[in-house]
Amino acid sequence: MRLANFAAFFFAMASAFMLYSLNYETRRLEANVQAQEKAAGKARSDIAVLKAEKSHLSRPDRIDALARAQGLTPPRPGQMPNNARLATATDVDPGQR
Amino acid sequence: MPALRPRRMLILGSVEMQKRTAQTQTSTHDTPPGALRRRIANALLFGAVLAMFGAVGGRLVYLGIHTGPQVTLAVSDAVPTSFARPDIIDRGGRLLATDIEVPSLFADPAIVLDRDEVVEKLASVIPDLDQAELRHALADKSRRFVWIRRGLAPKVAQRIHDLGLPGLAFRKELRRAYPAGELAGHVLGAVNVDNKGVAGIEKHIDDVIGVDAVHGAELSARSPVRLSLDIGVQHTLEDELETAVRRYHTKGAAGVILDIRSGEVLASASLPRTDPSRPAMGLDPSRLDKISGGTYELGSVFKTMTVAMALDEGTATSATVLDVREPLIAGRFTITDFHPAGRPLSISEIFTLSSNVGSGMLALQAGPEKFRGFMQRIGLIDPIHTEAGPVSAPQVPERFERIELITMSYGHGIAVAPMQFAAAAASLLNGGTLVKPTFLRFRPDAATKPVQVASDLTSREMARLFRLNVLDPIGTGKRADVPGFRVGGKTGTADRAESGRYEEKTVISSFLGVFPMDAPQYLTFVLLFEPKGTEETGGQRTASLNAAPVTGRLIRRIAPQLSVAPLMAEVTQ
Repeated sequence: MRLANFAAFFFAMASAFMLYSLNYETRRLEANVQAQEKAAGKARSDIAVLKAEKSHLSRPDRIDALARAQGLTPPRPGQMPNNARLATATDVDPGQR
Repeated sequence: MPALRPRRMLILGSVEMQKRTAQTQTSTHDTPPGALRRRIANALLFGAVLAMFGAVGGRLVYLGIHTGPQVTLAVSDAVPTSFARPDIIDRGGRLLATDIEVPSLFADPAIVLDRDEVVEKLASVIPDLDQAELRHALADKSRRFVWIRRGLAPKVAQRIHDLGLPGLAFRKELRRAYPAGELAGHVLGAVNVDNKGVAGIEKHIDDVIGVDAVHGAELSARSPVRLSLDIGVQHTLEDELETAVRRYHTKGAAGVILDIRSGEVLASASLPRTDPSRPAMGLDPSRLDKISGGTYELGSVFKTMTVAMALDEGTATSATVLDVREPLIAGRFTITDFHPAGRPLSISEIFTLSSNVGSGMLALQAGPEKFRGFMQRIGLIDPIHTEAGPVSAPQVPERFERIELITMSYGHGIAVAPMQFAAAAASLLNGGTLVKPTFLRFRPDAATKPVQVASDLTSREMARLFRLNVLDPIGTGKRADVPGFRVGGKTGTADRAESGRYEEKTVISSFLGVFPMDAPQYLTFVLLFEPKGTEETGGQRTASLNAAPVTGRLIRRIAPQLSVAPLMAEVTQ
């Protein structure tokens, strides 16, 4: 009987310790998950802001003004080759170049 | 001997057992009552501990297997709700609208120690703060939540934080950001303070695509909404319209660019513009979306419909010649041509010379039933809507009598929204299939069969007339030509009706352009509201002198963006 008591006591202590360890580990993991989720949320938020800033910086009216300041102008029709012209260009005999 | 040993052991064993049994009997009889009770108590304790462990173990197993009902918490104060919205991108994937996290300031009046100090210090950081209202709100200590300012700039939030005022706190919220500023503002619409769409595409997202109610600042995981707009083409259209407003001193301008095969709207602009991040701006009547939100008598550009009707109904062919020398009389009204030709005109000439008398005669020849039937078929009678909202319903006369037929034939007496008119014109130039304008990227649906509203022959003939009107040295659209890009089009100069009468000096000039005319793909419709005569136009305000050249400059810039290759033979002209 005494042995059974000792066994029960030991079992109780072991279980309590195990439960405490599990509880502690669970809380640690929960905190870890929360921290990761918070970091992911922060990263998503930062990405959204950066995307918005990138789009703001590359908005057409700004690029247009910058391009014109560099002396660039909208393309003229004559600058654009069409298929017929490209075909002519490739038909040239390499030996004549 | 070996046979005896077990027997001895058995004998010895039985003797030993007898002794032990006797001892046990003796000790049982000799056990005191206290010791027995202890043993019973120990046994009970042992049983209780076992039962408790069993219960705990059983419960753990139960909880591990069984997922219980969702727990619902009820709170006394309403938790502020916001909406997470999907991004809006243009057809090329460029960002037009997105959600970003911003701090919003609130107060707990029960914790605020000195409301006067709070109000005064906050006013130093937020100058437009309504101090009286905030003082009144903070006086009610029973309230535990009072919004002070939502959607603060991070720098402003930091300055408020640095004030160190008790009772104030921040909550992260979602705010709609429009990186391209006012670009396509009328199309995008607006959201309210809760990030809920109230106009334009933003409202369409709420009504059809869906948004997610969130507490806090959780970004939407939904796929972006891809529009048909091309922000490069959109910018070019707005830029050219702005230039036109300055050049011709107009009260406003508007334009739309359509893909006539799919009905996709590549650009839609109305000046003055509106800023989607400032919803109140959209309530200003002067900033009305003139493309979809207003109806106008469009003038001679409407002859496109009249001529197409005559060709499609078979009441005339392009070779038909009408005597337009005499004006048309309808009651007390006399209809004449702006530039009388003084000779009979073919249908082609009626179109290129923009003869009011000729188009009136075509409408009269067809009669009210055919005229109304054709207009209904191409979508000019019934209201339409797009994803950006309903298009203003056309204003059509109740009866199609002689005078109504004549005036409608050249674009007066019938008022339609430019978007609806552009869609109808696109239907006439794409082979004759009905165009439903859309602001979403078009995905061909095999189940939807195209609706034929005009014959292919009519469509090709209209394309020929459009091109002729630009190529012909006396055509009204010659100033819209862009070498290499095969532009076609029709002008319209409509007197504006004010106080029940037409004002000759206030006009809406417009140009309906299409390119490339050898395989029509894109349609532009440009409107200038009340342009003034300038030195460049010789004091005139007709569309051939303002709207047509604006369209030419516009097409020169957008055609390369739309991958329309120039024909070099024409470039060298």
